[in-house]
Amino acid sequence: MEVVLHLPVVPNVELVAAKAVETLGGALGMHQTHVEAASVAMVEACLNAMEHGGGSVMIRLRSDDHDSRPCLVIEVEDHGEGFDPEAAPKNSASRVLGCASKRGWGLTLIRELMDDVQIRSTPGKTLVSMRKYVESEP
Amino acid sequence: MNEERIKISQDLLSDGVGVIAASGYINNEGGQAIADAANNLMGEGCKTLLIDLDGTRIINSIGVSILLEILEKLMDEKGQLAFCNLTPTISKTFEIMGLVQYASVYPDRDAARAAIAGDASV
Repeated sequence: MEVVLHLPVVPNVELVAAKAVETLGGALGMHQTHVEAASVAMVEACLNAMEHGGGSVMIRLRSDDHDSRPCLVIEVEDHGEGFDPEAAPKNSASRVLGCASKRGWGLTLIRELMDDVQIRSTPGKTLVSMRKYVESEP
Repeated sequence: MNEERIKISQDLLSDGVGVIAASGYINNEGGQAIADAANNLMGEGCKTLLIDLDGTRIINSIGVSILLEILEKLMDEKGQLAFCNLTPTISKTFEIMGLVQYASVYPDRDAARAAIAGDASV
């Protein structure tokens, strides 16, 4: 099973991608909690791509068997300036409370909510690949 | 996507305790709608706010950042923030973003009401 979406940058379009996660995750037999976790990670990846990518966002979702473990694979691709994923700080409440800006949670949430996350970024292309196992730890 | 549009209602749970019921997508608009309701209740003298998220299944970090602003404002006023009816994923998101370190989380509104009433009687 594979779904490919090209999302324009319009308000709340990330919910279309979340709906695709819900549909494909449900078809794979994922627990509702895992589907919702993957949906939030998808929303965050889309928001990052739309904010920093400078144009439409390509989404690919597919089922996979990784080491004989069925999983949902999500890829979010944009064509912005790129960034160094290793340099992106892990956010925390103590870091943002008292600061004017409380944003910058996207990558932190994606890494915590998904089972595997890989980010490859070069000028002109950033690809966030995420994996959620059907039998994931809660 | 209309079913995800946020629906908000606000009420007084008891003296000085306000409750905000929010169902739908908590994004920048949803978070701001909750913040507006929180400001209204704080303007009416509420120092404890309960946010009931029954019916909310999807959130984003921009919306939750606005909830952090509400938390900060209540902490400045020596008030308290509480949540109830969180899905496991929203609960985990709040944990990652530090909301549960500073706010109380209850399974449902009855449990929240009982706990808040217990706090008030101490």
